[in-house]
Amino acid sequence: MNVITNNNLKCTISLAVLQDVVDPEIGLNVVDLGLIYQVDFDEAEKIIFVSMTLTTQFCPMGESIVNAVEQALLKAFADYNVIVNLTFNPQWTSERISEEGQEFLNR
Amino acid sequence: MLPAANNRLVKNTSYKVVLPFYIYAALAFLLGCILLFTASGAFTQHYFHPKILAITHTMALGWGTMMILGAGHQLLPVLIEEQLFSNVLAYLSFVFAAAGIPLLIYAFYTFNMHWPAEVGGTLVNAGVLCYLVNLAIGMSKSKQENVHAVFVFTATLWLLLTTAVGLFLVCNFTRSILPMSSVQYLSLHAHLGIVGWFLLMVIGVGSRLIPMFLISKFTNTKRLWSIYWLINIGLVSFIIIYIYLHTIRLYLLPVIAIIAALILFAHYCKNAYKQRIRRNVDEQMKVSLLSVWMMAMPLAILLITIVLLINNKENTQLVLLYGFSIFFGWITAIIFGMTFKTLPFIVWNKVYYDKAGLGKTPNPKDLYSNRLFSAMAIAYLGGFILFSAGIVFSSGVILKSASAFLLLAAVLYNWNVFKLVLHKPNMA
Repeated sequence: MNVITNNNLKCTISLAVLQDVVDPEIGLNVVDLGLIYQVDFDEAEKIIFVSMTLTTQFCPMGESIVNAVEQALLKAFADYNVIVNLTFNPQWTSERISEEGQEFLNR
Repeated sequence: MLPAANNRLVKNTSYKVVLPFYIYAALAFLLGCILLFTASGAFTQHYFHPKILAITHTMALGWGTMMILGAGHQLLPVLIEEQLFSNVLAYLSFVFAAAGIPLLIYAFYTFNMHWPAEVGGTLVNAGVLCYLVNLAIGMSKSKQENVHAVFVFTATLWLLLTTAVGLFLVCNFTRSILPMSSVQYLSLHAHLGIVGWFLLMVIGVGSRLIPMFLISKFTNTKRLWSIYWLINIGLVSFIIIYIYLHTIRLYLLPVIAIIAALILFAHYCKNAYKQRIRRNVDEQMKVSLLSVWMMAMPLAILLITIVLLINNKENTQLVLLYGFSIFFGWITAIIFGMTFKTLPFIVWNKVYYDKAGLGKTPNPKDLYSNRLFSAMAIAYLGGFILFSAGIVFSSGVILKSASAFLLLAAVLYNWNVFKLVLHKPNMA
């Protein structure tokens, strides 16, 4: 999984949690879709910084996907605040889809 | 360090604005099919018939236009890359059109071209104008030139011209304000709407949504501009020939321009399909793609009609079949496909927006019944083919039984739409 982080263990937990956040149109979770670019943890301030993208900037489900990512992390890391930074730089490409994701889309 | 942010997510249009259009359109489709069932015998007569005019306007305005205006408000942010300018204008657009359309239908059905037709026509024009202003101001805020937005804006201009000409034609019945009788302008009025409004709009929206739903990276702006100019030049040349030249052979020129545009669009869709990342294409998307090919039927009928006219032969059945294949064929198939691609998301966003991430939510496609959709598609296809045969053979029995199938399709469509709209939260 091509996700940048400053805390491998907590990032793995985060990504496991985010496996439940599904792009409602595609039916695939945001991790396997490759929408998550970076998950950093600020232990002093107790903040999780997430940098993520969408398949398109005009995605009609964009707001709810971002909201779902935030809610899922808040639920898993109750002591932390979550800041989601939505970025389209770099733009999402299909190369970011995981092998499992490719399999799902080819079904 | 996080990557540099360009986090501007275009805000969705409120479901409160959009849902009334969808519900109205669904009910109008049901009404259109009820009228078709009760007046199916009219399709053995001349196309200038009060009941056929009433059915045509129910389908063109109540069904096609209201659905496109609803989807248009919803998809505006996707198309113009800017959020909707005013919800108030959107509500006004609905109220004016929703009040005007039944008056027009009543006026045509009873052929009362006095106040019901004039007030109805004026209200429809006001509704279209509200949408146009909303669109224009929204677009003026958008920073990028966007071919899809230009398609949508031009289509709406053509719609306004269509409804304005329609109002003139209505007034001309009682006041003689035009040089010829209103019947003489019917073809002009119809093609402004069919080509200028429906075709431009469908291509403008489809060229954005088809690659988006297929998750295809294919894009070809240059080709879209070629399609845009071919359609507009075709339509303008049609108007000039219709008003000034009156030479039937010349009508082949705009038809050729439109055919060229459609071939380019079909090729565009084919490339988007071939370069899709998502291999499994759902039924709704297949119906939408099928509707691209369904444009071929009215075009073929139109070509035959023109060739017959060149040889001084007019075939009323062909003209009826042409109109039927547009409103009950091409436009209805597109709406069937796109309703169940867009409405589930609108409802999902309404019901689950604040619940996302807190538990397992159903997917948008689980909010309606796929079995109902399949049954509707079968009833619709059977009814459409049978009714077309009924027109060709002028058979009252075939027309009546075919319209029963179409009515069944309308009932199933409404059932599924209301199942969606009335969906209550259901979380695992």
